[in-house]
Amino acid sequence: MRISRRQERRAARHTARRAARRTARRAATTTAIATACALVMAACGASGGAGSDSASGKVEGTVEFQTWNLRTNFKKYFEGLIADFEQKHPGTKVEWIDQPAENYADKLSADAAGGTLPDVVNVSPDLAVPLAKAGLALDLDKAAGKYRDEYLDGAWKSHQIPGMEGTYAFPWYLNTGPMFYNKKLFKEAGLDPEKPPTTYDRLFEDAKEMADRSKGRIAMLGNAPAIEDFGRYGVPLMDEQGTKFTFDDAKGVELLKKYKELYDVGALDSQALTNEAEATGRKFQQQSIAMNPGSALDLGKFKKEAPSLYKNIGITPAVSNTGKDNMYVQGLMVNARSEVKPAAVAFAHFVTNAENQMDFAHEVTVFPSTEGSLDDPFFTEEDGTDETRVRVAAAKSLKTAVNYTPVLFSDQMKTVLRNEVAKAMQGEKSPRQALDDAVAECDRLLKSAG
Amino acid sequence: MSRRIRTHLPSSRRIRTHLPSSPWLFLGPGLLIVGGFSLYPFVSTVINSFTDKRTLIDGQYVGGANYQELVHDDMFWTGLRNSVLYVLGAVPLLVILPLLLALLVQRHLPGITFFRSAFYTPVVASVVVVGLIWVWMLDDRGLVNSVLGALGLGTVSFLSDQWLLLLSAMLVTVWKGLGYYMIIYLAALANVPRELHEACAVDGAGAVRRFFTVTVPAVRSTMVLVAALSSVNAFKVFSEVYLLAGPGGGPGGADTTLVMLVQQVGTGLSGRVGYASALSVVVFVITLGLMLLVLRANRREDA
Repeated sequence: MRISRRQERRAARHTARRAARRTARRAATTTAIATACALVMAACGASGGAGSDSASGKVEGTVEFQTWNLRTNFKKYFEGLIADFEQKHPGTKVEWIDQPAENYADKLSADAAGGTLPDVVNVSPDLAVPLAKAGLALDLDKAAGKYRDEYLDGAWKSHQIPGMEGTYAFPWYLNTGPMFYNKKLFKEAGLDPEKPPTTYDRLFEDAKEMADRSKGRIAMLGNAPAIEDFGRYGVPLMDEQGTKFTFDDAKGVELLKKYKELYDVGALDSQALTNEAEATGRKFQQQSIAMNPGSALDLGKFKKEAPSLYKNIGITPAVSNTGKDNMYVQGLMVNARSEVKPAAVAFAHFVTNAENQMDFAHEVTVFPSTEGSLDDPFFTEEDGTDETRVRVAAAKSLKTAVNYTPVLFSDQMKTVLRNEVAKAMQGEKSPRQALDDAVAECDRLLKSAG
Repeated sequence: MSRRIRTHLPSSRRIRTHLPSSPWLFLGPGLLIVGGFSLYPFVSTVINSFTDKRTLIDGQYVGGANYQELVHDDMFWTGLRNSVLYVLGAVPLLVILPLLLALLVQRHLPGITFFRSAFYTPVVASVVVVGLIWVWMLDDRGLVNSVLGALGLGTVSFLSDQWLLLLSAMLVTVWKGLGYYMIIYLAALANVPRELHEACAVDGAGAVRRFFTVTVPAVRSTMVLVAALSSVNAFKVFSEVYLLAGPGGGPGGADTTLVMLVQQVGTGLSGRVGYASALSVVVFVITLGLMLLVLRANRREDA
């Protein structure tokens, strides 16, 4: 078949146009790359300067949003949330990345060091500290101070750092845990299953009784004390200015002494010095530990994985000398070097606003950090089920709860404390000596962190 | 009369086999990978070891401060002790046991391939899975302790006693490494001439005598290789101890090995990269020393 002249001409024209378009596109790409480089350099140059905290401007562009182990269970919720935001702000696009629970800090440090930190990042207070110190977290007092009143005061302050001005993440969801206990094991030890311990003295007595009756087969608790246990016991953990640790005071020594007594008589699990939370959880499910901290999430797990435990499960507030429960806070940090700061701030605020937090709390048993949300009937009225009972009790305790773990207490410091506590429990050092050594080493690490 | 022997093809017929750049083209990918993933990290580790670099904060030059700190760090000495103990405990077993195992499965018996594969399985299995299985077995209420309990021997706390933990980890390393070194020995044994064994047998030597006078000398260089490989691996042990003793390295960190210490100190958002680098350099020097030691031992025996 012969190709007609006209067809030939059209083909030629088409090719030429395509070539021209290609050239144009290449030029555009080059320009884009050049612009990006310039922006990156500008951002690097500007970092640390006051200018980097400005988030005014048009809400547009592509926002990278990173969550911490939430995709598996809450894919639908987040996809809806993102669609709503994109609809509300035409010209924006949100790219959602989720990271697995394990090694999240390592992933963040790799991203931060490589300059590929997403625009909005799910953090906890202890993760926000090093990022803020490296100038990577946007100061929200400056960039988003107008939203401050929407959040619970304590929650907003949880991402502030002693010795530094500013707030470095929007508070997101909160959680607190009751203690779960095994009524059957309580009964077998001759303890009243309806009256779990509410004071430390009772807790320690009951634990010894249980070890004695079961000949060391059943332990009351599975873990050696960690920093939040010292906090709950009423030990002052750190001075106000955040310059040194103080948990080696008389009260701290007293707590460690009592735990050592428990360990010696078998009232703590024999592997308490090395158990991870995951291992203790497993032993509680296997009913060799009688009492274990948990969250409202665990109830469903017991129902499914350990029905015989679920039949005997008891729920009680964690014992504390301060009257305040421990609170876990999740936050959303905005990358100070983001190229789409206005959109990133808008999105982080959108995710953490009262309405969207409330929706999230209906999806899963977590608690909103926004002012007034905890007064919603959802968090105040019981309907007779265990789930609701745990939820209502947790919401109530959250109103006064505090995050005991000092934000400056790094992973390395946790290891130091854990090692020294273990040495005291094994009798290698006196509790006083162990805590003094732990404080000295943590102070040294704190100083070298600058 | 001498005739010149022409060793070259006439230039007109010489075939041009390569351009001057050809060797580099072949070497390129390998060099890039070695350069990017081995040499560069190595050099930057050495440089970092003289700074106070942290994960997110660039370091200043601090001279030998990290190395000085290291000498006064109790955890460093604990780690060094554990790593050395690991070498002393695991290496002899890893040199001898696989050889015996190889002799066992070397024979051509019906169904022997099944046993060969069975002994090799732990090598293929993921170390994490293997570690978890051993944790469950060695737990205070695990399989091993139930059996001991049933025999009236009481509970042995494999996972909470500092020494038993280290021993258990070595056990896992040895168990997991047996198959790999067995294969190496099998290859070496296949090269031992049959006649030597036969001659020896004719002279009236028994199995044990033949093992020491024929087999061992024949596979000695392989034994050195296995010793070198396994000692370097044992010194660098991480996974087994990490899984059995937990990320903290046992009660009070008493089972931390040097490589675990590098990980504890240097990772995370507030990791002390400078100090961790200094630790890594020390690990490197010691491993190098171990290699040289084993090789020298071999040369002396050969001489």
